[in-house]
Amino acid sequence: MAATPLYNEEELVLLLKQQSREAFNYLYKQYGAVLYGVINKVVYDEHIAEDVLQDVFVKIWTNIGQYDAAKGRIYTWMINIARNASIDKLRSKGEIMKGKIQTGEAVVNNLERGMKTEQTTDTIGLRKMVAALKPEYETIISLAYFKGFTLDEISKTLGLPLGTVKTRMRSGIKQLREVFNN
Amino acid sequence: MDTREYIESGILEAYVLGALTAEERREVDSVIAQYPDLRKEVSDIEESMFRYCQSFAVNPPAGLQIKIEQALQGISANTGASATGSAPKSRAIPLNPDYRRPTIMWRNAAALALFICSLAVNYYFWDQGNHEKQEKIALTLEMNKMKADQQLQADLVSEYRSSKAMMADTGIQTIVMHTVLPGHPMAATLYWSKGNGEAYVAMDALPKPPKGMQYQLWVIQNGKPVSMGTLPDDMANTPLMQKVGMQVMAGEAFAISLEKRGGNPTPTTVYVVGKA
Repeated sequence: MAATPLYNEEELVLLLKQQSREAFNYLYKQYGAVLYGVINKVVYDEHIAEDVLQDVFVKIWTNIGQYDAAKGRIYTWMINIARNASIDKLRSKGEIMKGKIQTGEAVVNNLERGMKTEQTTDTIGLRKMVAALKPEYETIISLAYFKGFTLDEISKTLGLPLGTVKTRMRSGIKQLREVFNN
Repeated sequence: MDTREYIESGILEAYVLGALTAEERREVDSVIAQYPDLRKEVSDIEESMFRYCQSFAVNPPAGLQIKIEQALQGISANTGASATGSAPKSRAIPLNPDYRRPTIMWRNAAALALFICSLAVNYYFWDQGNHEKQEKIALTLEMNKMKADQQLQADLVSEYRSSKAMMADTGIQTIVMHTVLPGHPMAATLYWSKGNGEAYVAMDALPKPPKGMQYQLWVIQNGKPVSMGTLPDDMANTPLMQKVGMQVMAGEAFAISLEKRGGNPTPTTVYVVGKA
């Protein structure tokens, strides 16, 4: 076939369930970079990230039969596999503390930035959507999504009431949604 | 239950972000099962998070795909029966209780033969159709990919345009910061509008900072470096511009140094300096 084989989601899943290697290669090309980006956000180490990415694709390949389209899109399923695998790796390596410390520094840094000006977010360019996220939202979203913190842990780490943590999660994602819809 | 209030509470965001305990998760699952409208809200949140993740996607190293493919050799998925192989076989043994009667047996044999033939023919056409379908899908997706690439290019162009516009703006001074480390060609640019104290910085030719380190921007005022904050790692080695988080009304020079994550009160290793 001349063109790269490409599929819509339903077909992709069907072919993966039939163990199509072509579909798998397509999956890798299409989602490898996103998953690798997610893993890097969690583990902060390229070598570990490579290992985790490999584990993640093996998991996707062997567990595709358990994927249920009624419960969400394939990317959500894969990102969750990637997040769980990397957070597990972080914990198993005893690196969660390191992660927490680093996150703590980032929090301080973000707070500093937030105090100096309200306009630090005015980044122009490709990554504008990331930068567009207000630091106080970004911190909470990454603690949960990339570091595996529970609401309670976030609330204690940042000294914020639980309700505030939840509403900031909502506001942050709302902000992302607005950026993407423009 | 008022689903609007439930949505507004942010519990669904916490659910998607994975911030709930197992018990809380199960609760949300059962609420979603009761109010299917919430499914849509959840999938919107999931989509936003996916697009957020897309914005910091990193290409994995080139050799990794082959390594992963090798790792998959011999691993078979728990997918249940595959649709192609086993179906015809299992259906091709219809045992008829009347098989002892010769005429019926022959008739059955003929029917069986025909049935097997038709399976083969069906399979042949199904396979053909599948290939055509795949090719069609291939083309559409290829086009989507091209569109996305084009968007990326367009974004880059607008990035360069806005930096050119800044250089052309007479109210904005362009300060190129050059390397101070011999043998390490590095540079960064600062666009400074003295009139209103706004400044933008681009780390055009600075390597990505090593792990645990971060770049910090300084303005030299009366011979003393004053911190203007740390710079995001992913801007290094790109033409991306970031607005400086402080007003800069005066300064003789600007500099970027490498510091431990979080920055330092005074610069440790200065990389680039440019006079205003």
